[in-house]
Amino acid sequence: MTSPHLSLTVRHHTGFTYDGLAKASYNEARMTPVSSAHQEVRHSHIAVLPLVPLSTHVDYFGTCVTAFDIQEPHTQLEVEARSTVESRAALVGDPLAWSELRDAVLVDFFSEYLHATSRTDLVGDALAPCAQWAHVADLHECVEAIGEYVRAHVRYEPGATTVSATAQEAWDRGEGVCQDITHVTLGLLRATGIPARYVSGYLYPSEEAEVGVAVAGQSHAWVEYFAGGWTGMDPTNGVRETERHIIVASGRDYDDVAPLKGVYQGPAASSLGVVVEMSRTH
Amino acid sequence: MASVALMRMVFDDDSSAAWNEMFSAPGRPRPIYERLFAELGRYQPSELRQRSEQLARTFTDRGVTFAHSGEERPFPLDVVPRLVGALEWDLLSRGIAQRVRALEAFLADVYGEGRVFDEGLIPRSVVTSSPHFCRAGVGTDPPNGVRIAVSGIDLVRDEEGRFRVLEDNVRIPSGVSYVIENRRAMTQTFASLFSDHRVHPVDAYPAHLFSALRSAAPPGVAEPVVVVLSPGVHNAAYFEHVLLARMMGVELVEGRDLLCRSNHVYMRTTNGERGVHVIYRRVDDDWLDPLQFRPDSVIGVAGLVNSARAGNVVIANGLGNGVADDKLVYTYVPSFIRFYLGEEPLIDNVETYRLSDPEVCADVLARLDAFVLKPVDGSGGKGIVIGSQADEETLAAVRDAIVTSPRNWVAQRPVALSTHPTLVGDQVRPRHIDLRPFAVNDGHDVWVLPGGLTRVALGEGELVVNSSRGGGSKDTWVLNDLAVPLRESPVGAGSLGRVAVASPRQNDAYAGRDSDQ
Repeated sequence: MTSPHLSLTVRHHTGFTYDGLAKASYNEARMTPVSSAHQEVRHSHIAVLPLVPLSTHVDYFGTCVTAFDIQEPHTQLEVEARSTVESRAALVGDPLAWSELRDAVLVDFFSEYLHATSRTDLVGDALAPCAQWAHVADLHECVEAIGEYVRAHVRYEPGATTVSATAQEAWDRGEGVCQDITHVTLGLLRATGIPARYVSGYLYPSEEAEVGVAVAGQSHAWVEYFAGGWTGMDPTNGVRETERHIIVASGRDYDDVAPLKGVYQGPAASSLGVVVEMSRTH
Repeated sequence: MASVALMRMVFDDDSSAAWNEMFSAPGRPRPIYERLFAELGRYQPSELRQRSEQLARTFTDRGVTFAHSGEERPFPLDVVPRLVGALEWDLLSRGIAQRVRALEAFLADVYGEGRVFDEGLIPRSVVTSSPHFCRAGVGTDPPNGVRIAVSGIDLVRDEEGRFRVLEDNVRIPSGVSYVIENRRAMTQTFASLFSDHRVHPVDAYPAHLFSALRSAAPPGVAEPVVVVLSPGVHNAAYFEHVLLARMMGVELVEGRDLLCRSNHVYMRTTNGERGVHVIYRRVDDDWLDPLQFRPDSVIGVAGLVNSARAGNVVIANGLGNGVADDKLVYTYVPSFIRFYLGEEPLIDNVETYRLSDPEVCADVLARLDAFVLKPVDGSGGKGIVIGSQADEETLAAVRDAIVTSPRNWVAQRPVALSTHPTLVGDQVRPRHIDLRPFAVNDGHDVWVLPGGLTRVALGEGELVVNSSRGGGSKDTWVLNDLAVPLRESPVGAGSLGRVAVASPRQNDAYAGRDSDQ
């Protein structure tokens, strides 16, 4: 075994409760972890209440999507995803040189991950150091510096922002949640000329927890940047992507990976809150 | 003996750089127009005016109107028809079918393998940066491969008499109802003209469309149910939605009439729910499915995209077709024809310059007055700037816009659109025209409706041929008459050639078009 390795089960529970009866509800859940070079999904299952037929497909970004609709009047929608995932830390290879990163073919290939979206766009002061980062010879070190810069300017503060916040709003407030810190980091990476994408998933909090004991995990977000291969970096925690990071989806920003999105007819909804429980299987 | 009105027109027009559709020289009609010229010469101007009013009444009676400044007006139909010879039509229809086949291949490739990117024909970023690139539609490949069931390829005739493609419309091209209604009104009002000409009928369009939509149905559905999905009575093309549904004998529905359940689509009827298999939608992507696109859309159908993905319903035209009629992508279409079909384009583009190339962009910015500047995503002629006619303020604004986002603009050589005698007041005067033929793809053949919609700019020197700018139309006759000599027609070798860039004239016409309505 060449890198640290974990076998984890994840239970992710989310949903909405309505101020009355909701109906004609159409939804997509992006809550199924994806298999990759350093992550293997052994088992995954999504359950929905009320009970309705589910259909699955893989979207443009390679994410497994579970779609369903609920016609009958209902007061609550619950979605629960259970997965078992073998995860190991990715090996980080030698980075591309800047000249390779600026190759026209590569720039065109990754253009979707080099352009700001409305969620990642930053203007003004925030971008000031981009020019100097482009002189840091080693791409990994450059990204590390960008991560430190973000952490120094945007403090992690649960509840500081709403789910619809933009990178610029979080920057101006100087605080945000992992989603905001990720958006700001993406804005800076792209402005520096580094292809970068938004990753959503889970973070297992500790390697110390006992086998079989469920601990509170986190629904989490971080970035991957292209340095020859996609390389994960967690700007909220100031670490590389580890075996404790379980990837569910990636995209240009949060809107491409929202865990549960939908439309319905009926009164206002309030979130049931998100519960993520994780445990080691061995 | 030609009437005073026609003669007057002849002499007024001979100074223009534009190609005159009817006359090769003052007083000398082109061969295909000889009979029409002789026939129309029997009418006094006041009689033509009378017939014209009769045509307008026919339209008002049938409700063939469009909303202009909050008022329903008949779409003006000119009394002088536009003629296209059989040989020329043969070339045009083959050229249009070729274009549609290439655009189909491009769309299948863009939403599939992406060979066109791998081969370096077009940068991937040109496609992925288009607002019409539909990521949510990936995986909704139509079962018979047809994404462009209906297209409207806009053509203009240049100064040399050659047809050029001005732009492609493969999302929701509209106007075919005017083709059908124009013919109906003309045959009622000018029966005698038709007895002198063998004109290809246009009433087969709904049957071709219906057949293509049935062919698009999910496999295994023996008797597919087809519907026309309209945004509703407030849409400018509502009349067309009604007409097509009626002529095809299918239901006209709005979003609220449809329901998706477990990826199947049903229509609410007085007899309960009925399964729907093919939706000819006249609703833009953005409004089509609130789950995928604008969540505030009340004219769409939630769950529709996933129903299409599951293969239970087919959406025509396909999702995300807008990447193929983007005006920057247009500049690549000739290369698509060579790449996908291994053929040379039968109809050339108008010379168009990509501003994403810094050198080209600098050159264009240095002499904006020599170009027409088009936003790649504009519709209805919106945002088009004709450099030679724009004031300083407009030029400065467009310069800024181009510098900010060169991807969003193309520069085109101003084309002097051909002119055609048109009744204006009590006189017949030359007016600029274009042509939008309609093509229907059923998966085996691309059928081009003989003729199409000739639009005419009614103001003198008017540049934009568009109903929203007070334009009108002409009945377009494709003559089924090979016996008529075509000695002065530009058909043939010329169509494959290139034409030198002519210097733009102060009053050269340029057509801005409606890309989706």
